Amino acid sequence: MLDHILSILIFFPALAGMLGFVVNKDSMRSYGIAVAAIEFFLALWLWFAFDSNVSGMQFMEQIALVPTFGINYIVGVDGISLFIIILAAFFTMIGIASLGETKDVKNMIITLLFLQMTMVGVFAALDAIVFYIFWELSLVPMLYIIGAWGGPLRIYASVKFFLYTFAGSLVMLVGILFMAYFYYQATGQWSFSILEWYRLILPESFQIWLFLAFFVGFAIKVPMFPFHTWLPYAHGQAPTIGSVILAAILLKMGTYAFIRFSLPLFPDASVYFMFPIAVLAIIMIIYTAMVAYAQKDIKQVVAYSSVSHMGVIILGTFALNVEGITGSVFLMIAHGVVSGALFFLVGVIYDRRHTKLMSEFGGLASVMPRYATIFGLMLMASVGLPLTINFVGEFLSLLGFYKQSHILTLLAGIAIIVGAIYMLAAYKKMFFGEITKEENRNLPDVNRRELFALIPLAIITVWLGIYPKPVLGTINTSVEGVVQLMHEKAISEEAKKRIPSLDILINKTSAKEAQ
Amino acid sequence: MELFLYTALFSPLVGSLFAALFGASPKSKIAGIVPSILLGVSFLSSLVLLILVMMTGHTIHVEMMTWMATGDLYIPFGFVVDQVSVTMMIVVTLVSTVVHVYAIGYMDHDKGFNRFFAWLSAFVFSMMVLVMSDNFAGLFIGWEGVGLCSWGLIGFWYKKESATWAANEAFIMNRIADLGMLIGIFLIYWNTGTLQYEEAFAAMPSLDTAVLTWMGIFLFIGAMGKSAQFPLHTWLADAMEGPTPVSALIHAATMVTAGVYLVVRANPLYDLIPNVGLFIASLGAFVALFAASMALVNRDMKRVIAYSTLSQLGYMFAAAGLGAYWVALFHLMAHAFFKALLFLGAGNVMHAMHDELDPFKMGGLGKVMKGTFIMMTLASVALAGIFPLAGFFSKDLILEVAFIEHHFIIYAVLLLTAGLTAFYSFRLVALIFHGEDRYKHFGIDPHEAYRFMLVAMSPLLLLAVIAGAFKMGYFNMVTELLPATEYHVHSATTYWIMTIGTQLFVIAAIAYAYKKYTSKDIKVPDGTSKMENSFGYKLLINQYYIPHFYENYIVKAYRELSEVFWTKVDQKVVDATVDGIANIFYQTGEKTRDMQSGNLSTMLKWMVAGMVVLLSLAVVFGLAARHSGEIKTFLSGLGV
Repeated sequence: MLDHILSILIFFPALAGMLGFVVNKDSMRSYGIAVAAIEFFLALWLWFAFDSNVSGMQFMEQIALVPTFGINYIVGVDGISLFIIILAAFFTMIGIASLGETKDVKNMIITLLFLQMTMVGVFAALDAIVFYIFWELSLVPMLYIIGAWGGPLRIYASVKFFLYTFAGSLVMLVGILFMAYFYYQATGQWSFSILEWYRLILPESFQIWLFLAFFVGFAIKVPMFPFHTWLPYAHGQAPTIGSVILAAILLKMGTYAFIRFSLPLFPDASVYFMFPIAVLAIIMIIYTAMVAYAQKDIKQVVAYSSVSHMGVIILGTFALNVEGITGSVFLMIAHGVVSGALFFLVGVIYDRRHTKLMSEFGGLASVMPRYATIFGLMLMASVGLPLTINFVGEFLSLLGFYKQSHILTLLAGIAIIVGAIYMLAAYKKMFFGEITKEENRNLPDVNRRELFALIPLAIITVWLGIYPKPVLGTINTSVEGVVQLMHEKAISEEAKKRIPSLDILINKTSAKEAQ
Repeated sequence: MELFLYTALFSPLVGSLFAALFGASPKSKIAGIVPSILLGVSFLSSLVLLILVMMTGHTIHVEMMTWMATGDLYIPFGFVVDQVSVTMMIVVTLVSTVVHVYAIGYMDHDKGFNRFFAWLSAFVFSMMVLVMSDNFAGLFIGWEGVGLCSWGLIGFWYKKESATWAANEAFIMNRIADLGMLIGIFLIYWNTGTLQYEEAFAAMPSLDTAVLTWMGIFLFIGAMGKSAQFPLHTWLADAMEGPTPVSALIHAATMVTAGVYLVVRANPLYDLIPNVGLFIASLGAFVALFAASMALVNRDMKRVIAYSTLSQLGYMFAAAGLGAYWVALFHLMAHAFFKALLFLGAGNVMHAMHDELDPFKMGGLGKVMKGTFIMMTLASVALAGIFPLAGFFSKDLILEVAFIEHHFIIYAVLLLTAGLTAFYSFRLVALIFHGEDRYKHFGIDPHEAYRFMLVAMSPLLLLAVIAGAFKMGYFNMVTELLPATEYHVHSATTYWIMTIGTQLFVIAAIAYAYKKYTSKDIKVPDGTSKMENSFGYKLLINQYYIPHFYENYIVKAYRELSEVFWTKVDQKVVDATVDGIANIFYQTGEKTRDMQSGNLSTMLKWMVAGMVVLLSLAVVFGLAARHSGEIKTFLSGLGV
């Protein structure tokens, strides 16, 4: 079973989702929870069976799809994707379990299970075409979630989300096709296997164009400034569960793809574009943090803060050294946990008051002390306090980039100031002061169902903040492989200098074959 | 011995978690008593460690577990008990034990009693992490941890707008400084390859001076935030919104001295860059005078003491900057005792006066609050630096350091500040405890605090009186680690002139304060007197208009810029562009759909038009292909 665990992880939720159509409406909830829990335990089993001393791919499976064009179903997992897959399974589980009163709950759960297939698929895929298929398919369930269960502007928001990201992906598809063509020219064989592409050393000018093509697709997904405007609409209109999955997992597809594709395929172009991208990331960090401060709606604050933190992830990725990339992968997990939890928390208050305007609240700390405590913890994690999960990632990302540029890191470090400003201001507006609105006087505190989602997230937030080693070590091993590969592939002097050599043995054959 | 280390470190955490268990339930005494006992345990453990370190000179170094490890970076949770950290541990645990016990009485009637102790003990734990860590990252954990607890405690009465505002201000201002600290840490890592104190300091002498200078500057920026040095000082006075035990513990004795601790800890670095040290000393001297001047006129009892704290921190930085690290640490210790005592006394007065803070509305309280009166007077004497109390030994030493190091301007500034310190301290004492019973006009019936609160304060009183006696023993211990420079004025005559002169000056200042503020004519100022309308007074009472400036030109600008970014840039430019592009496609479709209206004659027209376009394109390309050679020569002839 372990040989096919990735395929099981990918297709089990989808099959179960299809079966879900015949399940009785009343038992749908328990059915959904059961499926998601099985999936989550399978993911944990994957972690358990995973060898964290191996930097390369594990649990690989390969099935030929279109042999003439080298399109195969290839999946595999390494330290970089492992934890995002686990996180996806985890969030689907707690998301379904803590689902509040929802109309058409059956459809919602089926949609979520399909969404889970596409998420796991994206992070496990090692063939560009398979990757692309899952990447695009993931848009559909989310489109449906926003469009069917969203707020008043849901059609606009969901269409915008779909078309915007879809347009970006098409450019990426062109990049994928060209990459395969170059591979064909170099070797006489068609292949879409990412691992085989890794062996190809392209001239710098080719790299730059391909990098740009991929960049458009990834940057919109992340979303990077100035491609970020679909996100506030999507979050603003999406139901709680939609926002949680979107922030926690779907956004990570973009940053993950940078590490899976852009860095190892185009090391010289990565160095070439390092500073422009860093500047974009810094604008993202500071500018969106300021926009977040101007918001009146708590969900928009969290949405923009999410963009701001993604900036730090991008920065860490383009540090191009082990510290930075490990930090950015870890921050992906951390951001998933923390911003997912924050969206849950927003959902809690929205369910009670049916408004997200901060001016409607005030003084909630005395009415809902447990809610205020958990919110406070997540707030502190979001501003990156040490011993919370976010700090580890943020610290390492910034530390890594400091090697590349002092002044840009100093600017990016403003993240810790502006982040504190909007978060504390929002917390003060919602929780402190006297209760001004009558409706808030008797709000019930968080209930068991909500705690089911929030407590585990709170525990992870603190646990991985204090003891990140089990995750960090595994990520580190795989990232070392990536960095070493990049160093060996790099052509230009500049790139050789910027990307450190680690003197470790990676799959040497790949480098040799590439000659 | 490790057991004592872990006990000292973790019992505050246990206490905090214990109190937090009761967080949501109504007030129960046990939530205050257990953390206090655990802090007592922590203090005793620290005492054992102190004795051990003093007797044997051994230091204890443990590594509990790995925190972060990636690439070449390796950060453990490591703790060290050496001469410097054990001093801090004693100060922290002693003062916090006293404050905890005191607070059981002080917070007696507060609904948030349990929550208070959870925060307070959590603070002590963070502070212990800060002083005991063996690496910069661990220090940063404590550094941020105390910031968090300070936020929670300043804003403890969260229903008060001013309290939550002050809490956020403190947090954000500290964050600005923390960025500096973080950059300092990055610099250390990439230049020395480690964040462990020992190894990093060992690698530093071989580094370039420019790099070292930047390290020193950035670390000091971090220190400036926590220790509220100019221009990041405004949060400290506003932090007085928190409950008074918090002010005593956090904003007088411990957290605000973290910056001094950092500079002392990093002494191998600052020894290599004397220029930065001189800057630190000058800034310290400036802040000492600057803060003291604001304390002269302020009408809020707690704020006066806060400015006094700020001023004394300036003294400590002056000493540390001049390389007299042990002197700075000694003053830090002595100051912790008498300043915490002063704050706790102020807490008693506040309770008696039903949270009235204006000393002009008090007067004559000495008669009803004997214990508090004696304690606050002695604490003020110690603060003023009168022989033989603690302040005399520690503060005069700083003056001597400045004199011996030939920094006469710093010396003069600090000397002047000593006079001001004596003046404002006794202005406060005189206004509160002497003179007419002005409080009677406000219908207040003051009473002395609980007896156990006074008993709890007594260790501080004792230490404020006798701490000077430890000077030489302390010197012998701590100089195992810090540079052992003894500061003696070369000629005995100069020494005696200086010492007696300083004493006379200070006593004169005290006498003047007494004379001015015990008189029967003291009225509650109502803004009409000539003095209150003078420019100098207005400048001082408005804190040199610095908070005003921050509010109007930085906070407001930031808020407005944020608004603009959102409404103008994000919506009107970035998003509008995206929608505009989408709209182009949409409109094109919308406009051109008439072509396919189904009307035969229209469609025929379009068909003909299309044919013409296609044919002409075919002709053009055909011609171009045939004559490509000629075109090329033609174009090259044009110089294209």
